[in-house]
Amino acid sequence: MASVAEESQRPPAARRRGGGSIIPALPAAAGLVAFFLVPLLVFAVYSFLTAGLYSVSGPLTLDAYGEAVASRVNRTLAANSAVIGLATAVVTVAVALPIAYWLRRSARRLRIPVLFLIIASMFASYLVRIYAWRTVLGSNGLINDGLRRLGLIDEPLEFLIYSRFAVTVALVHIFLPYVVLVIYAAMAPLGAGLFEAAQDLGASSRTLWRRVILPLMAAPAASAFLFVFILSASDYVTPQFLGGASGVTLGVQVQVNFRTLGNYPVAAATSFLMMAAFLACYLLSALVLRALRLHDIRFVN
Amino acid sequence: MRPAPPRVRLEEVTHRFGDVTALDGVSLDVLEGEFVTLLGPSGCGKTTLLRIVAGFERPTEGRVILGGEDVTRTPAHRRPVNMVFQRPTLFPHLDVFENVAFGLRIAGVSRDEIRARVGRALQLIRLEGYEGRRNYELSGGQMQRVALARAMVNRPKVLLLDEPLSALDLKIRLEMEAELRRVHRETGATFVYVTHDQREALALSDRIVVFNEGRVEQVGEPDRVYRNPASPFVARFVGDSNVIAVEVTSGDTVRIAGRAMPAASDGIAQGAAWLVLRPDVVRLSAPRSGTGLRGVVRDVSFRGTGHTYRVEVEGLPDPIKAEMREGRTFELEDEVEIGWDPAASPLLPRAADEP
Amino acid sequence: MERTQRSPFTATVTALSLLFLFVPIAVVVLFSFHSTGGLSFPFRGFSLRWYEEVFSSPEFREASVNSLVVATATAVVTLLLGTLAAYGLSHSRSRLRGPLALLFFLPLTLPGLFIGLSLLVLFTEVQIDASLATVTVAHLVYVFPYFLLVSLAALNRLDVALEEAGADLGANSWLVFRKVTLPQVWPVLVGAASLAFALSFDEFIITFFVIGADSTLPMFIWSTLRRTVNPSINAISSLLLLVTLLLFVISFVLTFRRGRKRRGVIGGEELMEQALAGDPIGGRT
Repeated sequence: MASVAEESQRPPAARRRGGGSIIPALPAAAGLVAFFLVPLLVFAVYSFLTAGLYSVSGPLTLDAYGEAVASRVNRTLAANSAVIGLATAVVTVAVALPIAYWLRRSARRLRIPVLFLIIASMFASYLVRIYAWRTVLGSNGLINDGLRRLGLIDEPLEFLIYSRFAVTVALVHIFLPYVVLVIYAAMAPLGAGLFEAAQDLGASSRTLWRRVILPLMAAPAASAFLFVFILSASDYVTPQFLGGASGVTLGVQVQVNFRTLGNYPVAAATSFLMMAAFLACYLLSALVLRALRLHDIRFVN
Repeated sequence: MRPAPPRVRLEEVTHRFGDVTALDGVSLDVLEGEFVTLLGPSGCGKTTLLRIVAGFERPTEGRVILGGEDVTRTPAHRRPVNMVFQRPTLFPHLDVFENVAFGLRIAGVSRDEIRARVGRALQLIRLEGYEGRRNYELSGGQMQRVALARAMVNRPKVLLLDEPLSALDLKIRLEMEAELRRVHRETGATFVYVTHDQREALALSDRIVVFNEGRVEQVGEPDRVYRNPASPFVARFVGDSNVIAVEVTSGDTVRIAGRAMPAASDGIAQGAAWLVLRPDVVRLSAPRSGTGLRGVVRDVSFRGTGHTYRVEVEGLPDPIKAEMREGRTFELEDEVEIGWDPAASPLLPRAADEP
Repeated sequence: MERTQRSPFTATVTALSLLFLFVPIAVVVLFSFHSTGGLSFPFRGFSLRWYEEVFSSPEFREASVNSLVVATATAVVTLLLGTLAAYGLSHSRSRLRGPLALLFFLPLTLPGLFIGLSLLVLFTEVQIDASLATVTVAHLVYVFPYFLLVSLAALNRLDVALEEAGADLGANSWLVFRKVTLPQVWPVLVGAASLAFALSFDEFIITFFVIGADSTLPMFIWSTLRRTVNPSINAISSLLLLVTLLLFVISFVLTFRRGRKRRGVIGGEELMEQALAGDPIGGRT
């Protein structure tokens, strides 16, 4: 219960505006309901229908879900998706941490230019990146070619292209800038005198990391991790170009079911099963954070 | 001749935020041309009351009447009042001229008249020639003066000022106080001023309204509030007075810390009372033999104009504050005898069980 | 700001990461000027022939125009609806704020696969033919949260006292918005709109599902990629990069601009941090 004293002493900019109406936000809301919620709903209904060729018909049934779960192919692909998703998420977060730390604590005048570069790289088109990595990783591509000229190898390295490795590399390339920005923002206290304050109170760097920085970063890092994991695991374009036979993911299968095979219910069921899995991941992460009491830490400068 | 209606009337204004009551049945009249200060500690509700008069909050209960007209339901932008905020809220994308002209432009005043009135407003605050300046080219004090001009140029019936000097350095603050008094005199407008600084309130106001926890403790001229506080709270807050629990034994004597000392009668015949001792009324002297009140100096601070002492007295829970401008000075651990002029030290009623 | 700390490890990681991020792209751009078709070194001389080939292709021109049209429509509609939504969310104490914000930011959490598929299903059910209009709708859903994130952060950072001062001086809600809020916030709004434009221009994952016979530039690239290893892809890619880079620069300059002239206006870095810190509704109510 905030006292009146607290209410009036809040910095003016944080004092909540009142008196305005929420009505201006309603048109956008209507649009999203119509073109986001409703389609998802219809799509969900599809997953309970029977497949025709490029069509669906009633009655409601769980057949599509049964088929999606039973399929051996699906299980392999799900494993593939999970591996790719995890690998991408782990690498991006692991690499983003040192970068964010450098930006906060060591960068000085290079901070803004490097930030600019990182944000700029986010704007490279998705397809262009995939193509670029195919160029670099291909059997006649930059790496193989270079290594061959240097006499280090005779045959092109197999694993570089048309593999889960290639897919992961490209996905890391896509998501790294975003994760760097999130972790950088979460490390704000490092640039604001927190180290010195803690040292003044007798804390070693290690204590500071353990008791302040890592807890502060837990929630943002977890959410970035999840974001990358989910989007990488469900990607269906990158695997098609860089995955080869071993790098196919569930997303590709969904797309194939839908467009090529015209089996809408199974495509829908697989999609929703994926969504359920992702939701489970969100919930798990939220529960873990809550259990560790790391879920609502906020740094206010 | 019937007196003019008060410029501002507040009737039983109550305001609640959730389950916190910020204002509790406040009724107040501000007369035309007055300089009234709402004084109180942080969180006492004074800023909330000001914002209610301005129209930024609507009171949970009660009415706001400006010049005879009930404006409780009128939104802020239609009220004939203007406000100077705590921090200079000049529009950063406009220069001084445009800032001051803002309200006039909205009101559709003609270009020539705008130019004339802005010019006069800048003259009023003595910043002629600053029309083209931007906010980052002005000092804090200058920005507040422009904010003052921006409000005054609209000729508001009431000018509301929300601690406008609190963000400024002491020296500038003192200059600005003089400016505010001058502007008030020259324009004859009604000023409602909010501050927690009792010195400021005493220096500026025609009348002071002392607030505590959403209620009015006392309304009166600065002199009265200072010398005749209506409650222990007002005594402590406005005069920084010593407020001591005593027993009135007879018409002109009280028992304080086990001693009998003379006192003014003040209509309290017997029993529990508060003695209000202003620090500038307390006289310290070398201990004489006798039954006077004795104490030990525990803190000395030099203020340029004199010394302030805190004297610990056996039997009293808090030290007695004394301000002495002349006479001998004392040092830490000195034993002193404490005296005061009973006529200048009022007694206030006290419930028997109050500590 | 505190003393900086030297750290060769993190500096190295940063440098290598920057290389990682830019080398593949640089390679593509480089080879777009390659006089022969080869994609390997040594570099045999500069030539603009691939660009000529691209520009002379009618499919390319048509796809580019389509992309421009869709992106412009997306940016404009997002700017309008998004500004309204951001204004409503930041200026209201309604209890709908939470649920609405949830609705607005939900598309961010869903992979494009779902958004694209479900929209396709909707359009099929309602029997709306796939066209550039359906693509625009899909882009709007995708792009909206990004616009809102940035614009909401900006509106929340605006000092309430300024708007109160405006009202105190006689301006009603609309005038306060026009004369006080907008002058301070328009660079961020336009920056966010050009972000929306860039995102739409680049979009492929969702477009793939909801597009009909028309082509957008990313779709054109995709179909070219599937057919042959045509060196002109380098040229197309480079062009696309150039356009989006330009948009990004505009967006960056407008959104992150600081400087003496705008003291009192939103500072770019704090804006980004607030947006990224995941507190879009803002305030500590």
